[in-house]
Amino acid sequence: MNAVRIAVVLAALAILAAVPWFGSDVLIQFGINALLLAVLAQGWNIIGGYTGYPSFGNSVFYGLGSYGVAIAMVQWQWPFGAGLVFGVLLAAVFAVLLGIPVLRLKGHYFAIATLALAQVMAAIVSNVKLAGRNIGLVLPPLNNDRLFYELSLGLLVLATLTIFWLTRSRFGFGLIAIRENEEGAAVMGVNTTLYKTLAFALSGIFSALAGGIHAYWVTFIDPESAFDISLNVKMIIMAVFGGPGTVLGPVVGAFSLSAISEFLSSEITSLAGLFFGVVVVAAVVLMPRGLADMLRRIRRVGWRYFAENIRTHRL
Amino acid sequence: MDLLAQILINGILLGGLYAVMALGLALVWGVLNIVNLAHGAFIMLGAYVSWYLYTYAGVDPFLGLPITAMVMFVIGYAVQRGLLNLIVRAPMFNTLLITFGLEVVLTYLAQLAFSADFRTINPSYAGNSTQWGPIVLPVARLLAFGVAIALTVAMWLFLLHTRLGRAIRATAQNLVAARLYGVEPRHLYAVTFGIGIALAGTAGGLYGTVSQINPYIGAALTAKSFAISIIGGLDNPLGVIVGGLFLGILESLTSLYVGSTFADVASFGVLVLVLIVRPNGLLGKAA
Amino acid sequence: MLKISGLTALLFAAAAVTMPSNGAFAKDIVLGASVQLTGPVANTGRYYRDAYQFAIDKINASGGIKVGNESHKLALKLYDNQSDVNLSVRQYTQLVSQDKVDFLLGPFASNFALADSAVSEKYRIPMVQGGGASDQIFARKFKFIFGTLAPASNYFGSTIDMLKGLSPAPKSVALLYADDAFDVSVADGTRPKLKQAGLALAMDERYSTNATDFNSLLSQIRSKNIDVVLVAGHETEILNFVRQAKSLAVAPKMYSFTVGVPSEDFRKALGKDADYAFGMTAWLPSAKLKDRWFGDAGQFAVAYKAKFGYDPDYHAASGVADVEALAQAVENAGSIDPAKVRDALAKVKFDSLYGTIAFNDNGQIDLPQTVIQVQGDKLTAIYGANGKIAEPKYPMPAWNAR
Repeated sequence: MNAVRIAVVLAALAILAAVPWFGSDVLIQFGINALLLAVLAQGWNIIGGYTGYPSFGNSVFYGLGSYGVAIAMVQWQWPFGAGLVFGVLLAAVFAVLLGIPVLRLKGHYFAIATLALAQVMAAIVSNVKLAGRNIGLVLPPLNNDRLFYELSLGLLVLATLTIFWLTRSRFGFGLIAIRENEEGAAVMGVNTTLYKTLAFALSGIFSALAGGIHAYWVTFIDPESAFDISLNVKMIIMAVFGGPGTVLGPVVGAFSLSAISEFLSSEITSLAGLFFGVVVVAAVVLMPRGLADMLRRIRRVGWRYFAENIRTHRL
Repeated sequence: MDLLAQILINGILLGGLYAVMALGLALVWGVLNIVNLAHGAFIMLGAYVSWYLYTYAGVDPFLGLPITAMVMFVIGYAVQRGLLNLIVRAPMFNTLLITFGLEVVLTYLAQLAFSADFRTINPSYAGNSTQWGPIVLPVARLLAFGVAIALTVAMWLFLLHTRLGRAIRATAQNLVAARLYGVEPRHLYAVTFGIGIALAGTAGGLYGTVSQINPYIGAALTAKSFAISIIGGLDNPLGVIVGGLFLGILESLTSLYVGSTFADVASFGVLVLVLIVRPNGLLGKAA
Repeated sequence: MLKISGLTALLFAAAAVTMPSNGAFAKDIVLGASVQLTGPVANTGRYYRDAYQFAIDKINASGGIKVGNESHKLALKLYDNQSDVNLSVRQYTQLVSQDKVDFLLGPFASNFALADSAVSEKYRIPMVQGGGASDQIFARKFKFIFGTLAPASNYFGSTIDMLKGLSPAPKSVALLYADDAFDVSVADGTRPKLKQAGLALAMDERYSTNATDFNSLLSQIRSKNIDVVLVAGHETEILNFVRQAKSLAVAPKMYSFTVGVPSEDFRKALGKDADYAFGMTAWLPSAKLKDRWFGDAGQFAVAYKAKFGYDPDYHAASGVADVEALAQAVENAGSIDPAKVRDALAKVKFDSLYGTIAFNDNGQIDLPQTVIQVQGDKLTAIYGANGKIAEPKYPMPAWNAR
């Protein structure tokens, strides 16, 4: 990474951090949502982008983090920080216990299994009295959007730095090896089960932290919103749109898609959801390798880039 | 004892409906390796087609099923030929994403076209029941059960014993060889997907006679269909009957002995177990 | 996003400079709301959109509201939250901080009201909502949320009173309720009342919101020969329940539902199968409910149907009540300062087409429910706060004996 790029990134970071002092309330709210989605996308990036195990159920960790904070603060009167730790513990334990059997599955069976896990947890939690069953929990209100914004930004920085470290560490190379050729990696001495589970847990921990912050910010969670299935696709499409397996790709994807979606929500409300679906369909057909790849190659190949993508993948 | 018997019969009849719902998904998945996350949305569309036929043309929902099936076949063919064929050779993961996007689009289009009001298909005999000793059998569910079994057996026979069925299976297993034999894969894939969607539409028509229709029923139905397909196993077309019956009975018993809010826990819990322990399903080969 | 705000600001400035000042009418008082216009509960959400606009138009037509010496017209700023609670919260924040509305009107449904009232509390802008009845909304001791729906815990109150006078006397009761905030509140409030009335609770079952299959529960009701079935749920669930009751030949002596029966859609969807069903409503379009702007509830109902093409039910009346409460409070306070209006709302008491509007200490209205029953093709009021009004059709015959 040369000096210019570092300077640009630091400048962007400074601007982002200053937003709560110059932006409107609505902008800060949008910012928190976009930042948390970016964290989710980065979390997914670890297990989906780098390890090649496309989890369709990271929303389960988000939900566990949310409920961890909610139960800790509402039922046991713990402070927020302790609640976050509790949420992280829940996510980590879940990732290890259920990750080990589920990570033995390949390809889309893994995806389906994680989706099923998310559904099960939502169904289980809606029956747990401590979690408020299907009504959910109301957290003590804290009106400090600036704090939540900076927390979310900090979490995103942490997640991105983790991924950056990943790209330079043995652990990261092991994950990439698993993605490219798992059997080969095992033969070469990579402990695939350990690495996969760690990646899953790491991905889950970031999702849980995002969930915990979100829960405290919104002050109200219920099984449907905490284990929101559509979050899975949102985080995946943002990671894929921006560029899976890259350090900043998911962040770019998250910010750009959030901005477009929010703009539509406030201007042409009912069509916003429709737009989201159309973007997903179009992106998968026209630019399945993400924005980064498109920007890089469109300079060389021009509009033929899209036709090429289609030709490579169609029947 | 009577209560238990009634609950079991409820479960079996529910299972039949479940089997029909999952049939299209299992066909497309097992044969074409296309995992259709928009399956439920197509069931919803089929339900609307049946509703329009019933409300504006007075066509009986059961007798009108072939019409619904044909309409949905055309839609399915177009979707495969025009859209999904474009990503068949991409990683499977792309199929999951694109069909999810498709689900969102279809749901919103349905909301714009049909509004969010719920609809019902309520022919005069829909509320009738017939008695079999102490057991009450709702007529609509009984008919749906019959249709389900018939369709599933027909599908099995079709895939194993007809030329088109064999051509479809051959294409799915070996694209190059199929081409060498003069099979046009793009057309064949579209036909198969069309059949899958026609089946989904039929399930929708049946669903409309026993429950409410609105644009948002898709997601839950997709999830159910997945559970059924996997639990039953994708290798054998009869797997959906096993999966459907198993789930129907499991949910009814859970409702009776544990509580109706635990039905989803049971269904998806079993799904997770099956995926971990026996991913090829109850009727599939042992992993 | 900032770019767009800048352009809009420029346009506003230009408009403000060029617009002729109208001496008689000063700046509009803007009421903001985020309502479910699309999504699974859009069906009922639209009642609120229609009701809010209808009330505002009527108030404006009779001269607006007087603040001091000036008359102000009301305006409505409405967003569609697509039945998404998170979006609803963000939209209320936008209404307050960006659109700078003066006061807030509520969404439909208790879980929305629960989440959205956090926004009104945070920004200290009064919100009057007519869509959430759950006691939870008012248990947080928030000062800026007011509700015009009668408390959930009392929904079956008059029904249980009525049961005492029925013959043959009902002995066993089944209580079925969905697992959301409103219906759990209803169930929690119903149990002690049943106990007081000496009725045995033979079945007490919670079911999942949006459940489509009631065969299990219905089979148990039949096997236990239960006399009275009370269902607290949502319209689609209750529709499924009735249809499945018919197809399983389950006919208790009576059944009563917390929603559905008062609404035209519901009765039309069931057709003849709706006969004998009991429900409740805190509002009926009676000419006895006099209103400052609409004349009386009867005239309101006629005008509403003429304009929108469907009969208003208590949701619509509740929406109108929200607007009227704010209008009255602003006039009483003589100001549009949020804190003063909030205090005026807490003390307000006046008659309207919805009944007497007054809020108790925690911000909720208290209205008794009237038991209603579908009798043939009519909706009849059976039992109210003052006792019996008309003869109920009881007991319900078997389905094949209708």
